[in-house]
Amino acid sequence: MADLNKLRYTIESCNHCGQCKWLLPGRMSGWDFAAMCPIHEYYLFDAYSGQGMLNIAGEILSGKMSHHEDLAEMLYTCTACGACDINCKNVRDMEVLDTILELRRDCAEAGYLPEVRKTELEKVMNTHNIYGLPHEQRFSFLPEDFKDDPEADTVLFAGCSAYRHPETILAAIKILKAGGVKFRLLYEDEWCCGASLWRMGAHKEAEELIKRNVETFRAKGVKTIITACAECFGAFRGGYPRFVETEFRTLHITQVAAELLQQGKLLLRDDGEDMTVTYHDPCMLGRLSEEYVHWDGEIQSWGVHVPEKEWRRGEFGVYEPPREILRAIPGVKLQEMVRSYEEAWCCGHKGADIDGEFAAYTAGERRREAASVGAEVIVSCCPFCREALDSKDDYNLKYMDLTELLADNLREEGQV
Amino acid sequence: MSFSDQVYQELAAVVGERYITRKDFILAGNRAKTPEMPVAHPSAECIVCPATTEEVAEIVSICLRHDLRYLACVTGCIPSAYASGPDTVFMHLKRMNHMEINVEDRYAIIEPGVRHVQLYPEVRKHGLSYAAAAVGPGGSPLVTYAVTGGDNHVQYGASRPCRYLLGVEMVTPEGEILRTGSLQTDSGWFCADSPGPSLRGLVRGYSGNNGKLGIITKCAIALDQCKGPAEIRREGISPHHKMFMDGDCSRVYVFNYENIQDVCDAMLALGEAEIAATVQKYFYLPLTLMMTDSANDFFKKWEYCKKTVPMPLVVHIATQSPEEREYEEKILFDIVHETKGTRIPRDLEMWWEEHMDYFMIVTRLQSVLRLGGSWFPCKASAESVQHMCDIGESISEFIYDFTDTGKIFDAPENYQIIPMEYSHFASSELLFMWDRFNPDGFKNMMEFMAASSATDAKYFYHGSTSSGYGPSAEKKGKLYSNAHIWMEQIQKAFDPRA
Ligand SMILES: Cc1cc2nc3c(=O)[nH]c(=O)nc-3n(C[C@H](O)[C@H](O)[C@H](O)COP(=O)(O)OP(=O)(O)OC[C@H]3O[C@@H](n4cnc5c(N)ncnc54)[C@H](O)[C@@H]3O)c2cc1C
Ligand code: SF4
Ligand code: SF4
Repeated sequence: MADLNKLRYTIESCNHCGQCKWLLPGRMSGWDFAAMCPIHEYYLFDAYSGQGMLNIAGEILSGKMSHHEDLAEMLYTCTACGACDINCKNVRDMEVLDTILELRRDCAEAGYLPEVRKTELEKVMNTHNIYGLPHEQRFSFLPEDFKDDPEADTVLFAGCSAYRHPETILAAIKILKAGGVKFRLLYEDEWCCGASLWRMGAHKEAEELIKRNVETFRAKGVKTIITACAECFGAFRGGYPRFVETEFRTLHITQVAAELLQQGKLLLRDDGEDMTVTYHDPCMLGRLSEEYVHWDGEIQSWGVHVPEKEWRRGEFGVYEPPREILRAIPGVKLQEMVRSYEEAWCCGHKGADIDGEFAAYTAGERRREAASVGAEVIVSCCPFCREALDSKDDYNLKYMDLTELLADNLREEGQV
Repeated sequence: MSFSDQVYQELAAVVGERYITRKDFILAGNRAKTPEMPVAHPSAECIVCPATTEEVAEIVSICLRHDLRYLACVTGCIPSAYASGPDTVFMHLKRMNHMEINVEDRYAIIEPGVRHVQLYPEVRKHGLSYAAAAVGPGGSPLVTYAVTGGDNHVQYGASRPCRYLLGVEMVTPEGEILRTGSLQTDSGWFCADSPGPSLRGLVRGYSGNNGKLGIITKCAIALDQCKGPAEIRREGISPHHKMFMDGDCSRVYVFNYENIQDVCDAMLALGEAEIAATVQKYFYLPLTLMMTDSANDFFKKWEYCKKTVPMPLVVHIATQSPEEREYEEKILFDIVHETKGTRIPRDLEMWWEEHMDYFMIVTRLQSVLRLGGSWFPCKASAESVQHMCDIGESISEFIYDFTDTGKIFDAPENYQIIPMEYSHFASSELLFMWDRFNPDGFKNMMEFMAASSATDAKYFYHGSTSSGYGPSAEKKGKLYSNAHIWMEQIQKAFDPRA
C-alpha cells in the first residue's frame, strides 16, 4: 500500500466542517461564486470533496473498503486543484490534497488507474510528452535562425505544451531576449516534467522520470529553470522535492517578466487597445506552487508535529507578478473575480478526459464569473487553463495567454 | 421493513436518478467517525438530494410507508447529522439553496442549503446583519436559527437567533407540509406565530431539536441594522487574511479580569448603559488558538496567553459616527475601571481588531480543532448574566480533578459567557479539549461530562450537557427547564415512528 498510513492524522482529524467546499470569509462577496470545490458543486454528494475523499481514505486504510473501477473514476474526476487543501489549512493542520494524491497512488498501485490516465502514462513513458507526439518534434516550432546561449546556466523549459501552443514559448523567448536574459534550451534532452505522472499516482514512473530530469539538469549545469507553464512550475516546486533533492531554482516567466518591467528592461507599447481583463490564477502557479519541504516526523499528543513542520498553506504562491504585468500594460484594466488568488476556482481541465460534461461545467462557471465582473478577456498563463477556458459560449469573452499578451505589447523586438 | 430496490426506485422517481445514490463509496462520505465523537456511524442506505419542499414531503412519506428512518443534513458537522441506525435514508438538502432578502421589512427567506458565507455578505450589502454561528462559512443559517443551538458572539444589542425566526415552512414527521406563523393565513413571512399555542416555540424551543420534529424546508429570519460599513476592507492571503471594520466607528477592546463576579458586574453595567455591539467573556483557549499558525505554534503562545488573558472580556464598539464611538469608549473605560478590569497588551488586542471575520462568520473558531480535533462543549445554557456567571464559578469545583491529572487540556477558565439584550439575558458554554492520542481520551471526556452534569444537578443550574439531558433532568426534577421533555412528548404524539 502507498503511504496512506502517514496521513492517518489528517484522515482522522476531519470533523466534516465543510470549509473545504466553501469560500473563506476573507473573500466572501455574496450568494453567487461562493463554492470552491468543482466536483462537489457538480456531483453534489459529499464523497466528491476533500472531506469525502478523506473518509474514503480512512475506509481504505482500515480495510473496510477496497479499490474498484467506479471508485477510481470518482477519484480521478477530482482536478487536484487543492482548493480544499488551502481552505482546510486556513485553520487546521491537515494535508487534504496530499491524502487525495496518496489515495490515487494507492488506487493506481492496486491496478485501477483509469484508461485515459493509463494511456497518458504510456505516452509519457514512450514519447516523453503527454500527447504521444514524436519526441524529435518537441522544438520544431523554433525559427531556423533561433539562437540560444549554450553557456547559460538558465534554461527555458518549454514543456509538452510547446507541441500545442508554441506561440507561448516563442513569446517567452521574445520577453527573455528583450530583457537581456541569457538562457538556453535543452532541445532533445528536455522530457516531460512529469507533473501528470506524479499527480495521477504513477509514483514509480514519476520518480524515474523526475530523477532522470534532475540528472540532466545537473549534467548541463542548470542553476535556474524558467517555465511559461504553470503545471511544470508547480511540479518543479511542489512535486520534485518529494522524489529527489533539488538544488536548482525555478521561476515562472511572469516572475521574470515582472522583475524586468520593474527594472525598466522591458519597454511597452502604448498604442494597445483598451480592454477590461480578469486574471485566472492557475492552481499550480498559485496556491499549489509553494516549495515542498520534506517532513518525516512524529505527530504527538494534541497534534504537535516533531520536528516542527513547515506548512504549505498557499500563502506564498505566485499571485502578484502576473497582476503587476497586467497593470503595467497600457490600456489594460484589471478586474478581479471573487474567487481569486489562493481562492481561485479551478478551470476543470484535468476532469476533461474523465467526464467532459463536468469539465465543461467547471470551465463554464469560471467564464461566467469572469463575465460577471465585466471582463472582455480572461487572461491566464497555463496551457491547460487555456484549453479549458478558451471556448465559445454566450459570454462574449476572449481568452489570452499572459506571456503572449505581454510579448505582443513589447516595444523593442527581441531577436528571435 | 428494510430498504429495498423498490424503495430506491420510488425515491429515484421523486428526485431523478442524478440526485440519488446507493454506491457504497459515495455513502462513505457521510458515515465517517469525527474526532470529537469517535464512534462508528451506521451507513445510510442511500443519499437523496431533494430540490423542493414537495420532494422532501414525498421522501418522508415513502420512508413512513416503508418504515424507514430518515435524516436531514446540510454540512454534517455535528454528530446528530449522521445515521443512528440501519435503514436510514439520508437527505442532503444542498440543492435547496434559494434566498430572498426583503430590505424594507428587514427579513431574509432562506432554504437549508444557503450557507453563512452566502447570506452574510448579501444582507450586509443592504446595511443589514444577522448573527452568524461560529461553525464556519459552510454552515447553514437555517439550521442555526431553526434547528440547533444557535448561540453566537455578535448579539449584544440583540437576542438569540431563535428569537429572530419568523415564518417557517416544514415537513412534519407525518409527511405533511406545514406553514407556521403568518404563513398559515397566507399573510407572508413576517410573523413567527399566529393565534393559538406557539407552534414555532414548540418546534424550535430553546435549544433546538436537531431535526427530531420534522424537516425545515424554508424559514424567514429577521435582520438587524448593521453597525458598520457595507464593504469590509480586506487584506492578505489565507491563512493570514485580515478584515477591517470602519476605523472611525469601530474598535475592539480586550480587558482582563481577576474574577468572574467583576466580569458579571461589568456586563451588567455595560447593559445598563446600552453601549457596545458585542460583549463577551470569551474562552481563552480558542482566543489563543485563533492567533496561531499550527499546533506547535499554539504551544509557543499558550503560556503567555494563559498568563496574560485568563479571563478576557471582549468588547466591540461599533457606532454610526466617530463622536458616538468616543462617547461609548468613555463610558466603557469608566465601567472597566470601576469593575477592576485591565486592558491587555495592544499586540493581542490588535489581533482581534484585524480578524473581524471572527465577529462575522466565525471561521476561525474551527481552529479549536487544531489540537487534533477532539473537543466537546458542555454547560451550554441560557438565562441571566448572574446565573451564567454562577455556573462559570462552579466549574472550579470539578474541573481541576481533570486538568491536574491530564485527563483534559489544562485550561480551567475556558468557558464563555455571551450576554444578550443588553445583559438582560446571557448564554454560557464550557468548551474542553481531550487528547485523542490518549487511549483513555474518550472515556475521560465522558467522565468529564458526567461531572459537569452532577454540579448542574447539585445547584439546579440550567447548564446542560448534550448527552446528559435525561439523567440530569431527572435529578433536578421540576426545577430544571423542561423543553426537552416537552419535545419528547410532542415527538411521541406526532411522529409515527417515535
Ligand atoms: C467548531 C464548531 C463551532 C460551532 N460553533 C457554534 C456556535 O458558535 N453557535 C452555534 O449555534 N452553533 C455552533 N456550532 C454548531 C453548528 O453551528 C450548528 O449545529 C450548525 O448550525 C449546523 O449547521 P449545519 O449546516 O452544519 O447542519 P448539519 O450539521 O447538517 O445538521 C445539524 C443538525 O440539524 C439537522 N438538520 C439539518 N438540516 C435540517 C433541516 N433542514 N431540518 C431539520 N433538521 C435539520 C441534522 O439532522 C442535524 O441533527 C459549532 C459547530 C462546530 C463544529
Ligand atoms: S477536510 Fe478539513 S475543511 Fe474539509 S470538512 Fe474536513 S476538516 Fe473541514
Ligand atoms: S482538489 Fe479540487 S476538485 Fe479535488 S476535492 Fe479538492 S477542491 Fe475538490
